[in-house]
Amino acid sequence: MTAPTLDTAPDTGRGTGAPRFLADLLRVFNANKLSWLGLVLFVGLCLAAVFAPLLATHDPIDQSILYRLRPPSDSHWLGTDSYGRDVFSRILYGARISLIIGLASIALGLVVGGALGILAGYRGGWVDQAIMRVMDVLLSFPTLIMGLLVVAMLGASMLNLIIAIAFTVVPKFARIARAPTIAVRERDYIEACRALGYSDLRIMVVHILPNVLGEILVLASLWTATAIRIEASLSFIGLGVAPPTPTWGGMIREGFEYILDAPWLSIYPGLAVLLLVFSLNLLGDGLRDAIDPKLRE
Amino acid sequence: MTSARLGTAALLGAAMLLASPVAPAETVLTVASGSQDAGQLDPHVSTKSQDKIVFAMMFNGLVRFPPGSMNPGELEPDLAESWTSSPDGLVWTFKLREGVQFHGGYGEVTAEDVVFSLTRAGNPEVSAVSSDYDSFESVEALDSDTVRITLSKPVPSLLGLVANYHGGNVVSKQAVEEMGEGFRLNPIGTGPFAFVGYESGQSVQLAANDAYFRGRPAIDAVNFLYVPSNAARELAFLNGELDLALGVRQERWVNRMRNEPGVIVDVFGPGELRTLHMNRMVEPLNDIRVRRAIAHALSREELVAFVGASVTQPSLSPVPNGYLGHTAEVPLYPHDIDGAKALLAEAGYPDGFGLRAIITQRTSLLDPMQVVQEQLRRVGIAVELDVVEHSTFHAQIRDDLSALVLYGAARFPVADTYLTQFYHSRSIVNTPTAVTNFSHCSVADAEIDAARSEPDPEQQAALWATAQAKLMTEVCAVPLFEQLQVWARREALDYGFDLKAAISVSPLITEQATLTQ
Repeated sequence: MTAPTLDTAPDTGRGTGAPRFLADLLRVFNANKLSWLGLVLFVGLCLAAVFAPLLATHDPIDQSILYRLRPPSDSHWLGTDSYGRDVFSRILYGARISLIIGLASIALGLVVGGALGILAGYRGGWVDQAIMRVMDVLLSFPTLIMGLLVVAMLGASMLNLIIAIAFTVVPKFARIARAPTIAVRERDYIEACRALGYSDLRIMVVHILPNVLGEILVLASLWTATAIRIEASLSFIGLGVAPPTPTWGGMIREGFEYILDAPWLSIYPGLAVLLLVFSLNLLGDGLRDAIDPKLRE
Repeated sequence: MTSARLGTAALLGAAMLLASPVAPAETVLTVASGSQDAGQLDPHVSTKSQDKIVFAMMFNGLVRFPPGSMNPGELEPDLAESWTSSPDGLVWTFKLREGVQFHGGYGEVTAEDVVFSLTRAGNPEVSAVSSDYDSFESVEALDSDTVRITLSKPVPSLLGLVANYHGGNVVSKQAVEEMGEGFRLNPIGTGPFAFVGYESGQSVQLAANDAYFRGRPAIDAVNFLYVPSNAARELAFLNGELDLALGVRQERWVNRMRNEPGVIVDVFGPGELRTLHMNRMVEPLNDIRVRRAIAHALSREELVAFVGASVTQPSLSPVPNGYLGHTAEVPLYPHDIDGAKALLAEAGYPDGFGLRAIITQRTSLLDPMQVVQEQLRRVGIAVELDVVEHSTFHAQIRDDLSALVLYGAARFPVADTYLTQFYHSRSIVNTPTAVTNFSHCSVADAEIDAARSEPDPEQQAALWATAQAKLMTEVCAVPLFEQLQVWARREALDYGFDLKAAISVSPLITEQATLTQ
């Protein structure tokens, strides 16, 4: 996305534009080596999820009752579960569900919440009041409770989980998008846009959005980790994707019944959740530093 | 006594504690079942296993199964001290034991209470088992301690209908009339333990009935907890917080627990038959070839291996092993994947089809259902599972919302109860007379009805055998395996009898039970 020169020129406060952002990113990532670790881990897990069919040693839902609850071995690297399914393969396929739900729900939340926030900030007045008070009400529910509520109403399925988690982050994105919009709205170049007769929609999408996107994206990366944890939590309490589809939360839950017999059933998917959340947090920290003006120069 | 147990005792006897500054050393038995909550604490309303264990401690029938047995041939006097029947088996007269008191000061048990209870058990607006009492023409009190039951036609086991099980439990007429709907939150019976309190999702508390007619129980109070997680229950049990806990019906669990010091694992009857019911009114299950294909696709061997041979046995007939009238001489559908696929192709589904099924979160059904799901996947049938909370599952399958229903049940051990409740057209779910006929089967109605009033035992057995064969020919359901009951207890708990089986599908705690500290 490249912004017209008219927009970037008057903007002296913070860097926008892709090249500047990438340069900042590179510099901060180099300053904070842990960010690279986060990036590598995250990309690695994404690749593992994408290439799960190639990497998996077994069909993740194929049962072999005679080989149930086997500890890790050469043929089953991370052991087998209570149905004789390969835990390693299930974790790989489970990564797909976790990532799809995590990323899709955040993307949906970002689009809806970001749009509402920009609209509220740009328009102000009663539109702002109406949108933000509703967001306040939604924010007053703890995230997991809100997710539970929505899943319980809609029923447990992958799409509904995405909607439920998106629902919990919409008010957060709306808040994050609104504040910088108010600041940007007062700038001269926006005034110029109005004078040129640009439509509100065009001003919001083309001239305001690029200036607030950086901040939103940083939080998106951090909240993706939260979304993945919520998905695992909902699966753990039985409101996740239905069996036999492997999900990390679901695997931890199933393994929980055998925790004293076969601890590996819960430990490995638990580690997978930990790694993914850890990588996203490191990544998010790096991104945050990259756009933080205080850390610049 | 650990501090946790002391705490429980304090909670139970709060009133007593307030009255006297020194707490008496109470013997409190702490029990945990695997459900999330009680169903409804009214023995005529709920037939759920988590409630039966509590009912068995609180209520009596006219007759009872001797503790530790569930053989209908061994029924013995309970609230009735004697009985006679007319030669044609249609008129039964029971003489009540004198001086039996209801809990909570509701007075002595009279013939009126028995008449009220049996009438209530037969009332479809209240009772979940009313169809069992269809043949009752009248129940009358001849005097304060004599009850006469007149039948319109003979029934397979009249004594079974007045035993300490389901509708046979005697409730206080005065209490029910006074409390109405509130009775299920404050049930009044005559058993060794009386109801004290209920906390939703947490526990039911019972206290010893000082006036119990067989003598005051040795245990002072029972704290009955709802602990749905197997792992949490096991940890609590191993920590000594529980004296008696529902186990996991898996061989490796039983073996592991038996190695723990001071722990006894009881494996006992009845076997709960796990059956896959197929709604033969919905596509594509309305095609008998599809139902046959499903029967061939399922492997009992694998299911038995999954659960463990020491706690389960395969079943071939729609009526559980050991029930009066059971036969294994029925059409069989051996495990045959190619045969199943051929049948599906013949029925017009060469590539299989998809099907939605509702199943409980509870592992005792969810786990085998996942094995069933995989076995069906191998022949191309994609079963989408809708996993819901246990009581939602019970409600939704009774609303006819699931094409496949995996159901586990133990019933009164006479073929008639199982056949009537699961396979008679009168019991079809989502009808006014519904019980648990999930398959909408009606092919054996004539035999089931005829057998119920057949006076000749041999003829009756033949009718039941025909009914079972017809049901399997029609493949209304696929009987899979029977799961025995598994409970763990601390050595300190002694039931006072040999637990071989229990009609309440859980260990029976009577006045004989002792708990050494």
